[in-house]
Amino acid sequence: MKKLKRFISMPAVTVAAFVLAAALLLTSGIGGARAALTYYSETYAARVAMSSIGVTLNENGAAISCRDYDKDGEWNHVDGALLEGMLGEDTSVKLGKKYKEELSVTNSGSISQYVRVSIHKYWTDADGKKCREVSPAMIDLNLVNQDTHWIVDPEASTEERTVLYYNRVLGPGETTPLFADTLAIKEEVAARVTQTETKRDGGTVITTMYDYDGYQFCVEAKVDAVQEHNAEDAIYSAWGRLVSVSDGTLSLK
Amino acid sequence: MKYKNIILAATACMLVLSAGAGSAWAYFTTYTEASGGYAIRLGSQSTAEEEVGDWTKHVAVSNDAASSQPVYIRVKAFAGSQNPLTYSSESGKWSRGEEEYYYYNDIVEPGGKTEVLDIKIDGVPVEVEDGDSFNVVVVYESTPVCYHEDGTPYADWSRILDTGSTTEGGVTE
Repeated sequence: MKKLKRFISMPAVTVAAFVLAAALLLTSGIGGARAALTYYSETYAARVAMSSIGVTLNENGAAISCRDYDKDGEWNHVDGALLEGMLGEDTSVKLGKKYKEELSVTNSGSISQYVRVSIHKYWTDADGKKCREVSPAMIDLNLVNQDTHWIVDPEASTEERTVLYYNRVLGPGETTPLFADTLAIKEEVAARVTQTETKRDGGTVITTMYDYDGYQFCVEAKVDAVQEHNAEDAIYSAWGRLVSVSDGTLSLK
Repeated sequence: MKYKNIILAATACMLVLSAGAGSAWAYFTTYTEASGGYAIRLGSQSTAEEEVGDWTKHVAVSNDAASSQPVYIRVKAFAGSQNPLTYSSESGKWSRGEEEYYYYNDIVEPGGKTEVLDIKIDGVPVEVEDGDSFNVVVVYESTPVCYHEDGTPYADWSRILDTGSTTEGGVTE
């Protein structure tokens, strides 16, 4: 034991351990870089691949929001708004009417990636305060291409939130099939009413007041993208979700 | 010398630990988001306007300007059995329908008004004597315009938005 202590306390051993630790650190860095840049020469990839991840959210065929890496830590981003042209010639939302709301995702970078979409639906009252007494299910965003291209994550989804994973690799410049195509506000939102009876001009007037008059519905869509290489670990690290990737096809564990 | 060794050992440990953190940040990610919404305007109030002349009620119903929804409107009148009622409309926009109501064919927007529906009171004595009386009640109802998925409007009369009645009566002197 004394010999071991003496050996450990030798300066040469300490310095050797330090050098070994530094070597370990450098080796692990190289490993990470290799995991991300397998298909490229190191010099080229370090300059181009890192500067090119980007993702865009499309609404009715037009890009409305994006965030693309530029260079030197700078990002090009556009923060648009959903539903701006939804009403068309209507002056207000018509209950029950299906409005066109086609949503998809484009890879606006130059490396392949996996993407997921988180959709939040909720109501705010006339004061802009989030309210829970009106069901988010009254906001009927019709999801499409489920099970063929988009997978709903049941563990992460609630009545208010839906999380969708695109189950294939999205190459540079490619656009996914739609994950939603229409939006309607269900007529049931007008079912909760309060009636008042008043006398007027020699007659009786029964007036129906809607409890949710003035409430605002809100839809949020957030798109996340992560590199294709080492996808299982990358997705778990970035999104905290265990997935399997086999021949480029993603499935949830 | 002893302290120097400890510092070197601690630095080595930190380097090893930080190697793990470095790999966790090595993945390329990005995100983008957008949001939007609209306020829902519900509710409306209708008002009946009447003129009476020559034993005929001229009824028009307006959707008040403060209303926030377009509506469909229907009207029905009641009178005693001795005074049957005859409905007519110069505009041709009123038509008899279910439950003996007369339905206005067009959608009435907020601030808008129907064309006139004439309700003639029949059975009136040719020579009216003092003390003769009559009583006619006009009931009007509105329902918000509903929409099919393709945007086609329709009326759902199981959802009455606004119900009102007016009574016109009197005693001849």
